[in-house]
Amino acid sequence: MSKLLSPAKTEVLFMGNEAIARGALEAGLSVAAGYPGTPSSEVIENLATVTKERKLYVEWSTNEKVALEVAAAASFAGLRSVCVMKQNGVNVASDFLLHLAASGTRGGIVLVTCEDPGALSSVNEGESRYFARMLEIPLLEPADFQEAKDLTKWAFELSEKIRNIVILRSVTRMSHASGNVICGKLPDKSGIARFIYDGLITDPLRGPVISTPVVIKHTLQQEKVKKAVELFEDSPFNKYFGPRHPELLIITSSVCFLYSQEAISMLGLQKRVGILKFGCTWPLPTKLLKKYLRLTDKIMIVEEVLPFLEENIKVAVVGMLKEIGIKTFYGKMDGTLPSVGELNADLVVHALGKIMKVKYKSLPGSYTREIKKIAPLIPERELTFCPGCPHRASFWSINNALQLDGRGGFVCGDIGCYAMAALSPAIGFNTVRTLHSMGSGTGLASGFVKLNAFGLEKPVLAVCGDSTFYHAVIPALINAQHNRADITFIVLDNAGTAMTGFQPHPGLAVSAMGESVPAVDIPKICSAIGAKVAISDPFDLEGTSRTLTSLIAESGSLKVLILRQICALSPEKKGKKKFLMQVNEELCLGENCGCNRLCTRIFRCPALTWDQIKKKAAVDEVICAGCGVCYSICPQKAIMRTEAAE
Amino acid sequence: MAFPVKRLSSQKSLKKGVLEEELCTGCGACVGLCPYQVIYHDRTVQLHYCDLEDGKCYAFCPRTPTDLNALRELLFNSADLTPEIGAVKSYYFSRAADSRLRESTQHGGTVTALMELALARGFIDSAIVSSRNQEFLQNGTVVNEKAALRNNAGSKFTVSPTVAAFNQLVNDKSGKIGVVATPCQALALAKMKLKPVKNDSGKIGQLQLIIGLYCGWTLSAEKFTKLLTQNNISLQSLKGMDIPAGKNILELYTNNDTQAVPFDDVQACVREACHYCLDSTAEYADIAVGSARFGNDWKEMRRWNQLIVRTAKGKELVELAIKRGVLEIREAPVESLQELKKAAMEKKNTALRNIIRKSGSAKNLLYLDRHDPIVQKFLKNKASDKKSR
Repeated sequence: MSKLLSPAKTEVLFMGNEAIARGALEAGLSVAAGYPGTPSSEVIENLATVTKERKLYVEWSTNEKVALEVAAAASFAGLRSVCVMKQNGVNVASDFLLHLAASGTRGGIVLVTCEDPGALSSVNEGESRYFARMLEIPLLEPADFQEAKDLTKWAFELSEKIRNIVILRSVTRMSHASGNVICGKLPDKSGIARFIYDGLITDPLRGPVISTPVVIKHTLQQEKVKKAVELFEDSPFNKYFGPRHPELLIITSSVCFLYSQEAISMLGLQKRVGILKFGCTWPLPTKLLKKYLRLTDKIMIVEEVLPFLEENIKVAVVGMLKEIGIKTFYGKMDGTLPSVGELNADLVVHALGKIMKVKYKSLPGSYTREIKKIAPLIPERELTFCPGCPHRASFWSINNALQLDGRGGFVCGDIGCYAMAALSPAIGFNTVRTLHSMGSGTGLASGFVKLNAFGLEKPVLAVCGDSTFYHAVIPALINAQHNRADITFIVLDNAGTAMTGFQPHPGLAVSAMGESVPAVDIPKICSAIGAKVAISDPFDLEGTSRTLTSLIAESGSLKVLILRQICALSPEKKGKKKFLMQVNEELCLGENCGCNRLCTRIFRCPALTWDQIKKKAAVDEVICAGCGVCYSICPQKAIMRTEAAE
Repeated sequence: MAFPVKRLSSQKSLKKGVLEEELCTGCGACVGLCPYQVIYHDRTVQLHYCDLEDGKCYAFCPRTPTDLNALRELLFNSADLTPEIGAVKSYYFSRAADSRLRESTQHGGTVTALMELALARGFIDSAIVSSRNQEFLQNGTVVNEKAALRNNAGSKFTVSPTVAAFNQLVNDKSGKIGVVATPCQALALAKMKLKPVKNDSGKIGQLQLIIGLYCGWTLSAEKFTKLLTQNNISLQSLKGMDIPAGKNILELYTNNDTQAVPFDDVQACVREACHYCLDSTAEYADIAVGSARFGNDWKEMRRWNQLIVRTAKGKELVELAIKRGVLEIREAPVESLQELKKAAMEKKNTALRNIIRKSGSAKNLLYLDRHDPIVQKFLKNKASDKKSR
């Protein structure tokens, strides 16, 4: 049995995302939809494992906007639904979210956004809390694992009380860390879908679901926000911890609550500093805020990433100045804490120590000296593609084709493992020159080629993965065709949403729930758009390079190359080697002219190693995936391959 | 620009000093040695960065600095040397005795006849010649038999990375090799004989014969293809071409007919690098062969070659060819040699002028050493030209 289904009152070690999933189940969830993205993916993945037991419908949607639409339909029909995404996903979903917030919802609906301060697995650290304020939707932020479950469950109740969507925001250190959670009861009954639309357009529960008449619906929406504030004033998720008369009040939310607690304890300030922890961060419950602001004149706000809470508190304080008097604020706006990157206990200790004039030595000097001695001995580890990764082979051929073409062409990158070709240029053989949001590589490329009229006469390529293709590339591709942007567009099709853990996507014949579904064919879509389409196996370096070179040379129309090879880590491939690889040391030229370590200096598959003593290349059999590609790059044919036995 | 001082990697020096300066002749000397450089169409392409400081690519390139004096000493008898056309042991008009062979060749079929003989008599085991594909792109081809040689006979006018085929062949197998080479290719092969690289495996010993071709210029494949397209001539139908004396046109022989393109248009397609080349008679070959045209005798002499024997090895082959009746020879009129020298001198002067214009100073001759005695001679000529003007 899945631990998600643990009986009530049992204490279970849950990852933050599992706790969120359990909370949704305890709320009587019926529908869940999402698009994979670290650190959010485990919520949907976990729910997908209990669809039968809990009578759920769970799907991986094409993108976050569609996911939110799918979840909203359930809400309109009176069911409880959740929609899960990472921070960028909220941007994608935001257009629908604006309208949804205006039309209102029926069954409880929660948008879970798992965000990535410090961009540990993102190319941005954008945060979506501002959407809550901008679109006038309540925002909840759990501060520990128990809360992750409890606050999620409550979010559905809140959503139904105010008849609008609620945002629940987590961060990497919440979603991906684990803690003990005491389970609540899983409801017995499952929901029944009824979509009622015969009432008046102004009747939010019986009429058609629509954001017009705008002013009437907007008024209604703001009343919901006011109602949320009332509920927040008494919410047990907003809580004060600390002495009755603190010298300093920390106001915080999310995992920053844990950092603050740790910092206070490390500095021994338990009797001098109090913490007001908000679980409900927008709209701010101002009465509650006022009550605790009165405790002291010094306030420090600890949050990630931008000063969202700080801004809202300061705005609220202006309205209560007469009652509470002048306060001194510490936070991001005055530079006490950084407004970029993740926070941690050390950063809070540093800030708190400065304000409270307490010195804290985290480490003895000898420790630092020792570290400095040892540090240079640690081998450098660069971002790289895995052994056997098809992307390395693909970029090898892309580089070759661009060099052969000789016009200084470049690649616009996109989001997926292959983004590493932009983050660590050497592993993409210095071909990728832009990297932004999903699908933007293709849009940028079609813009770049249009600059030929202004003197930028270079071939422009765009790459994207298979999942990204469905997510956001298709409109850009159609744009390229419609506007005669003769880009060369490459799909790095590795048969899955590989970077986030092989979630199925529309190109595969299986759904999130493991059911068989029709696969949507990328080449056919591209052909239907009117592009010239070629397909190649990236492991065939020569063939791929030849095909690509001729595609790049053709001008005047949109060209598509689909490079198909399953991800080296995919469950289908894992552990199975096609070839056994070995280096013939007699033939290996090593550092001599004629080779100069092409395999380990340029190709850089982690499974190819350099024997410092023998001055010869070697294959690390343990990590070699047996793709056999390095056989093709060795000028001496010193890297030998033999077919592995089945 | 000054030629980049070494310290940069060989590959980078090559890029800065030769490729970016458009001095690259496309001879292929830097290709076939490693996986870093290839020829694509007629361009030398660096696929990946190599950081070696002592690379063969730089050492073999005919457009990196060369100790030409050392080369002359190594290859030729000093008594044979002329400033205009290099070493001359003997000078003939010649043609292949086999009339069928002559039909398939540009002029007199001398080169093909000599190579056939060299193969047949075991002077060499393989011959490397240039061949072109459907898209008029040239490649060095290894030939071991007569028939294949004849298939590739005829002038090509675009450059072939012939030396790359040599690099490849010596890497693949042993055996004696003869190469049909343009002046730049002959110089690259000759440079290899100086063994300029440490740890060289010494495979240059396999090179037994260089038959050089007279060469005034070659055409850029890209530009020439464009020109042909503009003139509605398909590459596939092109059989051959020639420059008839005194007409200022290039004649193109296609499957069905002969077409003419104004020579000025053709000249615009000349590879940039050729403007900086001083050698029109393949001075570093064993034997050099060109067309015998001179004076007003074009129609008559078109089917003959002129032939310079430069080395003892060249002499041996040519004498054997005459003795065995493979080559027919005529004694060349004295004016012919004079005319050749004059033309060669003009080419040298023009090229030097172009080099100085590019570098901006007579003290900087790019790949040439201004202290080289022959270069000095021509520099003086130019100086006296100026005075006389």
